[in-house]
Amino acid sequence: MTRPSSGRRLERLLAIVPWVVAHDGPPIAEVCQRFGISERELVADLNLLFMCGVYPYTPDSLIEVDIEDGRVWIRFADWFRRPLRLTPLEALALVAAARAVLGLGQAQAAEGEGAGEPRASVGAGRQGARAPQAAGALASALAKLELLVGPSAEEGLDVELGEASPQVLATLQRAVAQRRKVGLEYYSFGRDETTTRVVQPWRVFSSEGQWYLQAWCEKAGGERLFRLDRALSATLLDEAFEPPSGVLPPRTYSARPEDPVVVLDLAPAASWVVERYPHEGVEDRGGGVLRVRLRASSKAWLERLLLRAGPDAKVVSGAEGVAQEAARRLLAVYGL
Amino acid sequence: MDRTERLVNLLVALLDTERPLTREELRQRVGGYSDDEANFRRNFERDKELLRQMGIPLEVVLPGPSSPEAEAGYRVPRQAYELPDPGLTEEELTALRLAVSAVSFEQAAEGAATSALWKLAAASVSPAPGLGAPRPERAARAEPRPAQGQVPAAGGQRATQDALAVEGAVPLARGGAPLAEVPADTKVATLFAAVAQRRPVRFSYGGLERRVDPWRLSYRQGKWYLAGFDHQRGAERLFRVDRIATEVATEGQPGAFSRPAHVAAGPPPPWRLGDDEEVAVELRVDASQVPFVASLAGPAAVARTEADGSARFRLTVTNRVALRNFVLGFLEHAEVVGPPQVRDDMVSWLRRLVGAEGQP
Repeated sequence: MTRPSSGRRLERLLAIVPWVVAHDGPPIAEVCQRFGISERELVADLNLLFMCGVYPYTPDSLIEVDIEDGRVWIRFADWFRRPLRLTPLEALALVAAARAVLGLGQAQAAEGEGAGEPRASVGAGRQGARAPQAAGALASALAKLELLVGPSAEEGLDVELGEASPQVLATLQRAVAQRRKVGLEYYSFGRDETTTRVVQPWRVFSSEGQWYLQAWCEKAGGERLFRLDRALSATLLDEAFEPPSGVLPPRTYSARPEDPVVVLDLAPAASWVVERYPHEGVEDRGGGVLRVRLRASSKAWLERLLLRAGPDAKVVSGAEGVAQEAARRLLAVYGL
Repeated sequence: MDRTERLVNLLVALLDTERPLTREELRQRVGGYSDDEANFRRNFERDKELLRQMGIPLEVVLPGPSSPEAEAGYRVPRQAYELPDPGLTEEELTALRLAVSAVSFEQAAEGAATSALWKLAAASVSPAPGLGAPRPERAARAEPRPAQGQVPAAGGQRATQDALAVEGAVPLARGGAPLAEVPADTKVATLFAAVAQRRPVRFSYGGLERRVDPWRLSYRQGKWYLAGFDHQRGAERLFRVDRIATEVATEGQPGAFSRPAHVAAGPPPPWRLGDDEEVAVELRVDASQVPFVASLAGPAAVARTEADGSARFRLTVTNRVALRNFVLGFLEHAEVVGPPQVRDDMVSWLRRLVGAEGQP
């Protein structure tokens, strides 16, 4: 067990003392539970207080701590009659968490009503009708926090956890909780095709403003990570499954060793490729030209990159004729 | 002496005094500092810094011009130290605990949610029924010992279920894994405090010094954005917080400006981010891609839906390059229908690509 820093210990102590002072001998177990602390840690912290007080530290100027019959009393600690005010980071963390979760509840409530837009940004705060169900304890807690944080705290912040269809998100969350399989209609960006597959949903989460499903894909016979903004629909199936005991956090992207290597020379106008795409090395060729080495995870991925970069990217190796072929296909759409 | 103990004594001394105390006075009153002068000074500086980091309002009173020989004095005003009682009920506190457990903060805010909950758990003055209420007798009560590390408070189990039902079955991920990760650093926190209290801020952005009335912070697509009134430009502006080049300085009094009722929440779509002459562009989009275009352009942009599920979108464009990149992302599933100049631009871009064959 790592020892908490002095600052962390002090922060906790400065919260516990006022509460104990105000409650005339609360049970130790209750203090521990309220502040998420073990009994051993609590007693160690309280032991510190025995010797604290004001100069000249005569017994009548010291904080008094009594532990008896599993209860604790603190007296003569008037300096700490209230907890310390919130720091800006603490205020942000509280309000942002509350806004994110409230937005999520609202999107799902809207979905339950069967109304509204086919797709919505989920996790947003005030947009759209405020679902009455969401106006619960969390909403009233958030309103009360304005007293501590400032009068524009609630309206001044919103947190959107990602784009996804509320129907898809709600169905997948239910399926994870009930350990039931799901029929997922999914657009594969890399392959540029829409498929339907049966998945065993393990976990739904948002990272970097994007919703993901971590699941076992029965079609692929392996673990897959699905971006939920590309899921068109999700159908809850009756069939149950047993999730693995320890689901490891997934990696959002990693090049596979079998992916072909592509080398490009980029004119200055295409230098954004280096910033936006994961690559395996950049070399300055002089005259503002950068030579970049990439792993092409799929054909469609490479085509998009080359079509967007256009004449500002020259293929050195690994992608001969790809851009030309794609451009011809697109010109056919324009009847040319 | 344990450092935490020394810090408690230092804080007691600073809270106890009306008159600012000098470093030497504090050394006498607070046990545990070294007799060695250099050691003492170093440790005193460290302690001061730690108290400041914790958000303790340490007031420094500098000597006036009449007595330049005098030393700086220190105190902590109680009024600035103490957290008011927000009047949270136990149910509301449980709801906040659940929300905080569902969202994990990266960077500096990592431990902030936990310490914020400690403070709120201590902030309610009136004890909830059955929770920490004064007990008339000291007679031992058979308290079931709760599992350690369990977050919701005693008596909160049912509240937990209710809160989940209320919020539309927000799932708590198994094994303590959070539902969402959100980055938050001190820059975002400083801006949020300024938004909440309506105080102007100053920072450098895009190579210019800005003075901004901060209206709203939004987290979109993994980034924080600040919307506000830019005094240099004399107009509403949207700033990406990670591109603010300097520290954010807060100035002025709380309530220094009033915020408009409707503030843009996040960034507009990329084809709106630019100064090109405004043009209405029509796109034809295959059925398979219609939901994705609609999610970015908004359902109002759908001009017509065909029998085969494909759709026509009408977009207002002020950044032609961004529009081209957007449309190319759909490969052969999207087409610029008009106006002719935008369609011709796309065709000539594609022709240049075809013609580039053979060139290294």
